[in-house]
Amino acid sequence: MSILQNGREVAILGVGMHRFGLWPDSTNADMSRVAGLAALRDAGLSFRDVNAAYVGQIFAPVMAGVRVMKEFGLTGLPVQRLDNASATGSACLYEAVGSVASGRYDVAMVLGFDKMTGIVADSSANTDPANLEDAILPAAFFAMWATRRMHERGTKVEHLAKIAAKNWNNGGLNPMAQRQPDKPVPFEKAMASRMVAWPMTTMMSCPIGDGAACAIVGPVELAKQLNPGRPVVKVVASALQSERYDRGHLFMGPVVGPGRMTVDTSAVCYEQAGLGPKDIDLVQVHDAFAIEELEYYELLGICGKGEAEACIDRGDFELGGRVPFSTDGGLIARGHPGGPTGLAQIWETTLQLRGEAGKRQVANARNGICHMMGGGSVCVMHILQKG
Amino acid sequence: MSGTARARRPLKLGYFTVPENPAEPPKLMGTVCKDCGEYFFPKRVVCAKCLSENTADAMLGPQGTLYSYTFVHFPLFGSTKVEHSTGYGVGQVDLPEGPRVQVPLAGKQEDFKVGMALVAELDPIREDGDKDVVILRFAPVVSPDHGGAK
Repeated sequence: MSILQNGREVAILGVGMHRFGLWPDSTNADMSRVAGLAALRDAGLSFRDVNAAYVGQIFAPVMAGVRVMKEFGLTGLPVQRLDNASATGSACLYEAVGSVASGRYDVAMVLGFDKMTGIVADSSANTDPANLEDAILPAAFFAMWATRRMHERGTKVEHLAKIAAKNWNNGGLNPMAQRQPDKPVPFEKAMASRMVAWPMTTMMSCPIGDGAACAIVGPVELAKQLNPGRPVVKVVASALQSERYDRGHLFMGPVVGPGRMTVDTSAVCYEQAGLGPKDIDLVQVHDAFAIEELEYYELLGICGKGEAEACIDRGDFELGGRVPFSTDGGLIARGHPGGPTGLAQIWETTLQLRGEAGKRQVANARNGICHMMGGGSVCVMHILQKG
Repeated sequence: MSGTARARRPLKLGYFTVPENPAEPPKLMGTVCKDCGEYFFPKRVVCAKCLSENTADAMLGPQGTLYSYTFVHFPLFGSTKVEHSTGYGVGQVDLPEGPRVQVPLAGKQEDFKVGMALVAELDPIREDGDKDVVILRFAPVVSPDHGGAK
């Protein structure tokens, strides 16, 4: 039994974001203050009501977590910093949800932030690599997923480009997205953009960026008291797993996976929530590269094994389709600064379940998956449900 | 493989051999579990499969089979070679002993095919005084008549 099944029911009380993008003139503290105050306002709470904070950053320097929290005031609350690569924000939420469910805290603030613009400038000064792994870029790692999939299933570059174009177009409907195209992006444009690692082009890959995102977590009863007229967004599943050994496991390079980790983590979540893939109305995934989203359609059980390509051609995962994926633009268009990325998924799913997602709104959305992978690697997954 | 007479040193110690004879292919330096028999690359102390500490060094390769590949359209980080300035191949290679490794590949995009036989080689990426700094990569087996892992 998980803490979600025998502990208190947990809700997302409020969410807030600082738009992802290239913000060379904004500090981590600036962006975090914007996202955190927005989340507190959305919840109807003061920072004085917050009992604990879980702060996630990948690239920010040591001490940044507790220092950034001073933007909200100095109340003596426990502040913990956590890092789990791309899944950092999601991992912070996992800890916060467990702490509220267990009764340790009533109100927990989950804050993720990062600034990649600074580190890219710093890393270009380093021209003497000592690691064999430097040759294996993340783009190459995922490109090799694509090559293998093409070999096994006859996947076409067009399928990857269609996923990318969908996510760019969803980003165009999201005011917090880094990439907001001003006119619809056809899939041919994604195919024709610059090649990074065959068959992955720049438009099929997430950008670097800066940003912050925040979620406030508390008991379901408190959510009802604070905002009586608003649907409650419950956390009905929360799971985090690292890898299990299988032959062929990759020990070096920017490893994410193997696919079995998503299968196993989603099985735990479906069991916690008492739901199956057929009950899911919308999904956010770790689409750092378009091939990832394609694999997750099947690994999460949203479509059958080997069916992803036919489902893409039918438009199953687009807004208005059977189960929309990456409704906010995903990592490809909404952006992927690192620490805050998983919490942007929580922001999007919370708005969707409350019916506040504007032009991106998924009709009658009741159950939403937020799935993240963190390099190394881990899988973190939550299911949010309209209560 | 070039028959360079220059001395060679690995980019990083402890991952692959640098044979005295330039015609001899390098081997990968890994670990075998003496309890369950599983092989690993790179070296490790505790068996990842059965958790035994009864492990020993093991030489792996030099043959391999291409599981997947890509061609990266960026210069190879740390290389001063013209060949690497516009891009380089990368593969996931299955070693005959079991481990799968991610390494650069010799050749162009059109030279690679899933399932093809490969052999390890040393590739100089820059000079360090009188020595060539080498990395390990895999190259398609040249002769189709005698190709493949033996």
